[in-house]
Amino acid sequence: MSWTIAVGVKQVPDDDEVGIDPDTGRLDRASAPAVMNPPDREALEAALTIRDQVGGEVIAVTMGPPNAKTVLEQAVAMGCDDAVLVTDRAFAGSDTWPTSLTLARTAEALEADVVVCGEETTDSSTGQVPPGIAAHNGWAQLTYVEGVDARPEEDRLAARRDVEGGHELVAAELPVVVAVAYGEFDPRPAGLHRKIYAENDFEPTQWTAEDLEIKEEVGLDVSPTSVGGMETVDPVDRKGEVVDETDDLAEVLTEVSA
Amino acid sequence: MTDDEEPGIDVDEYDDVWVFVEEHAGDVMPVSWELLEEGRKLAEKLGDELVALVIGEDVDEIAEEALARGADRVLVADDPVFEPYRADPYGEQFRAMVEEYKPSIALIGGTHTGRDFAGRVAVPAHAGLTADVTEIDVDDDGLLQARRPAFGGDVLATILCEDHRPQMATIRPGVFEAAEPTDEADGEIVEADVVVEEADCISEVLEREVGDTADITEAERIVAVGHGVEGDLEPARELAEALDAELAASRAAVDEGWIDGARQVGQTGKTVRPDLYVAVGISGAIQHLEGMNKSGTVIAINNDPNAPIFDHADYGIVGDLVEVCPDLADRLEGELQEVVQ
Ligand SMILES: Cc1cc2nc3c(=O)[nH]c(=O)nc-3n(C[C@H](O)[C@H](O)[C@H](O)COP(=O)(O)OP(=O)(O)OC[C@H]3O[C@@H](n4cnc5c(N)ncnc54)[C@H](O)[C@@H]3O)c2cc1C
Ligand SMILES: Nc1ncnc2c1ncn2[C@@H]1O[C@H](COP(=O)(O)O)[C@@H](O)[C@H]1O
Repeated sequence: MSWTIAVGVKQVPDDDEVGIDPDTGRLDRASAPAVMNPPDREALEAALTIRDQVGGEVIAVTMGPPNAKTVLEQAVAMGCDDAVLVTDRAFAGSDTWPTSLTLARTAEALEADVVVCGEETTDSSTGQVPPGIAAHNGWAQLTYVEGVDARPEEDRLAARRDVEGGHELVAAELPVVVAVAYGEFDPRPAGLHRKIYAENDFEPTQWTAEDLEIKEEVGLDVSPTSVGGMETVDPVDRKGEVVDETDDLAEVLTEVSA
Repeated sequence: MTDDEEPGIDVDEYDDVWVFVEEHAGDVMPVSWELLEEGRKLAEKLGDELVALVIGEDVDEIAEEALARGADRVLVADDPVFEPYRADPYGEQFRAMVEEYKPSIALIGGTHTGRDFAGRVAVPAHAGLTADVTEIDVDDDGLLQARRPAFGGDVLATILCEDHRPQMATIRPGVFEAAEPTDEADGEIVEADVVVEEADCISEVLEREVGDTADITEAERIVAVGHGVEGDLEPARELAEALDAELAASRAAVDEGWIDGARQVGQTGKTVRPDLYVAVGISGAIQHLEGMNKSGTVIAINNDPNAPIFDHADYGIVGDLVEVCPDLADRLEGELQEVVQ
């Protein structure tokens, strides 16, 4: 028994390195270095855990510009067997509908049994892509997953989900799309040899929209949503006073609570 | 859209504002009633009807309550296949109802279940879906304007969906006031055809444990704990008791399992707006600030003078929470007693 496990990883601006634009005093994401979306590192860990349980192959997938290749190298360094870069100008302007279509077709082309994703991306933070992939393919979905339990003898994957006011254990038939809850899978460090291989010898497979036969179904034109405007929000004005004594704080608290 | 593509939909065929009423074993998530109130405002502006969507098993009472809280109509899909929630049967049922009834707008609570559900149903409907919305309105053309924080809350982006229907949004819990029940409910309850069967389902819920269902969004005072408490909630709890405050948390504290997810504040948790918010051992990450920015007075207790939370607090103290919290609690107990009497 062995499963093919695809993992969606995305390149995003590094939140920790986002500087302040000196002219506007606002966050300047454009100049931040690009990194792997932190929740996707945990998705990789979950995928590798499933591989540890059933055997098989883990294939990292990203849809993005050619330079997103670096996140695939990181994925391979962490232990992925292979990686696919889905890149095409036709994808420009895609919202979550065509993005999840693209990843759904990629997963089909790979004959994936499981697709693992992060909870959400730090740049678009929708969390819509994993259910979207599942919906496009008519597959099962398990979101906010905190633990995975592969059951190859049943052709199912069971998972512990974090739901409102509790937890549930759900078993889903393969193929299934999993989105892992952020903060639950501690990513394993990349091995040195693997890292050298990933950086020097590894080349990801490259697919275009045409390869996936979705050229007319992606990009700005088929995206149902569009940005109607951006308003800057004035930061909340806080006093920012630091007091030295607990007494002073007690006084403030008494006033506010009165 | 160009002419040779699949024919676009006629957006004029779609009307009514739908609100998805999320229930778990008979309990309705508070955000659903918040959306009913906001949905009412949109429906009035548009001259449309407000429709509550109730999916579950034995949900008569919930349907009645939705009417009492202001729905013009309640669409009910009542069947054992819908309890507990699973994405595949709910998704299929919703798709069929959208096809039949053609709603213009569909609002869904931004809970884990709501986001799981919305992401699935938007795809087959080819609907426009905006996540994590904190403001909604309709423009002069009757188009939904869904606003959401972007770039760490620095910007409010307005997302539109011009050529597709329904216009869908998941909305962050705690942002709006809930609709209150009234006695003058005169709407109707409509039974929808149930289109799914258990045999077609591709997932199975094996176990379900109910945890903490606290609603921190209504609290007037909050003491929130972060990773800095290192598993010991006692000092913060003492302070919370002295202040008669609810306990809440950063995601880091929730992820460690120290406190339940129902109490998480932030982008992927709840938006709170207490008069007083005390952040204990919380660094002040943007995702956390997004959920607490609407608070009245913000107080920070942190042993790192450079913690960003101090820039987002009205008053702060640099110190070890293990000492500061009980000390504060002691002093307050005396003083608050006087105020209350
Ligand atoms: C997609 C995504 C969504 C997220 N959503 C949320 C969200 O909804 N809500 C949220 O909160 N976070 C969210 N986060 C996480 C967020 O980025 C931060 O990691 C998190 O808020 C940090 O929590 P913290 O401040 O408790 O922990 P830390 O950042 O570790 O801070 C702990 C603080 O405690 C202080 N401290 C330590 N010991 C003591 C002591 N003895 N006395 C006093 N102070 C002490 C430290 O100086 C430090 O400032 C999200 C992240 C991502 C990527
Ligand atoms: N362009 C992409 N390429 C690969 N995976 C993606 C992409 N966009 C989103 N994902 C996956 O979907 C998850 C949720 O993303 P989002 O819906 O954008 O918040 C991410 O954590 C990734 O695992």
